[in-house]
Amino acid sequence: MTDELLMEAVKNGDLQQASALFERYNKRIFNFLARLTMDRALAEDLTQNVFLRIIKYRNSYREGARFQSWIYQVARNVFSDHYQVHKNKFSDFVDVEKVSDALYDTEDSDVLDEQERLLQRSMAKLSDEQRELLILTRFQHMKYEEVAAIMDTTVANIKVKVHRAILKLREHYFELEKI
Amino acid sequence: MDRETLETLLIDYIDGRLAPEEKLQVEQELVNNKEAYILYEQLKEVIHSMERSSKLEPTAKLKSSFDKLIEEEIRSSKKNKTIFFQPAFYRVAAAVTLVVLGGGIGYWISKYERQQQELADIRKEMQATKNMMMTMLDNHQSASQRVLGATVALKMERPDDEIILALANAMNEDSNTNVRLAALDALSKFNKEQNVRKILIASLTTQKDPIVQIALIRILVEIRAQGTVKELQRITNDEEALKEVKDEAHAGILKLS
Repeated sequence: MTDELLMEAVKNGDLQQASALFERYNKRIFNFLARLTMDRALAEDLTQNVFLRIIKYRNSYREGARFQSWIYQVARNVFSDHYQVHKNKFSDFVDVEKVSDALYDTEDSDVLDEQERLLQRSMAKLSDEQRELLILTRFQHMKYEEVAAIMDTTVANIKVKVHRAILKLREHYFELEKI
Repeated sequence: MDRETLETLLIDYIDGRLAPEEKLQVEQELVNNKEAYILYEQLKEVIHSMERSSKLEPTAKLKSSFDKLIEEEIRSSKKNKTIFFQPAFYRVAAAVTLVVLGGGIGYWISKYERQQQELADIRKEMQATKNMMMTMLDNHQSASQRVLGATVALKMERPDDEIILALANAMNEDSNTNVRLAALDALSKFNKEQNVRKILIASLTTQKDPIVQIALIRILVEIRAQGTVKELQRITNDEEALKEVKDEAHAGILKLS
């Protein structure tokens, strides 16, 4: 059954079908939010919030709309609401040096190669929007068309922004490498 | 090739998005331009490291709290089922029904109020007519005003007791024949009323005006009021009665027998 049919069933009161959607999307949404917040524990709370909203506001799901775009839009809203409540921009309080510790388990951290550590620190230096674009297109391998649908913009615009984000990431990456 | 074009082409080259000619162009640039090659190597490392990056696993807590959330939601939605119709179609239907019902009740109330208002207006008008009529009948100065008062009663659909009494008085007591005749005329219009019939019969015994007597006899005969024959026989035997009146009474008896 497609995501859309499952969501329509949820909307019509068959709440049990939300479990199938959770199975399909919980890891993707968790990864998206973990890389965005650079904080695993927080990402888990926010993922929980995303599914809570999906269920609570199930009636706002427009039949025929692509479910993937909708759930990512909800996730983006949950993320921005969280930082609005805390009256802080992400970059104001994330300690770039400690990012990898918050993002990976201690056990993972032992085996985490230097390249990945460097990547996460460089990611933390990007703006929220640039980081978000790279998570969706590079970490989650979404097509530009899919991201354009989530962000409600054109494919050309997404492509230009993704390229700029990659170039910016390269700058930070090789600057940090020198240290 | 300018730097910006080169950067874009290099990213597309790494992503494998270039057409064969563009691909060739980039490869030539990489061979001839050392800086371009370094940039390419760096971009490739960054892009590949993102794509290779390991997937993060949420803890089991996420799943267990989701299961709890679903259970609670199912429980609360069952509780609300009697209030909130599912699916949305039923809610829309319920809303439409309420609107139609509300509109109907509103229309009914406004119609009822309008009817009540009309009724009150009619009552007010009748009272005004009655007052006018009573004032006219009571005008001792002008017989013509009293005649007019009696004719006003003709326009009424149903007179009340007060009007009938006023007309009966005018018919029996008024000093002017025309007023008495007009009052009789008005009363005869309401001959279906039992009390009016009684008044007319009673008037036959007391009426001394021959013109009114004759008119009264004609009306009573026409409406075939009960007890008329007895009164007519009395008149035929009344020595004081005029011959014309007696003749009318006699003719009446013949018609009724």
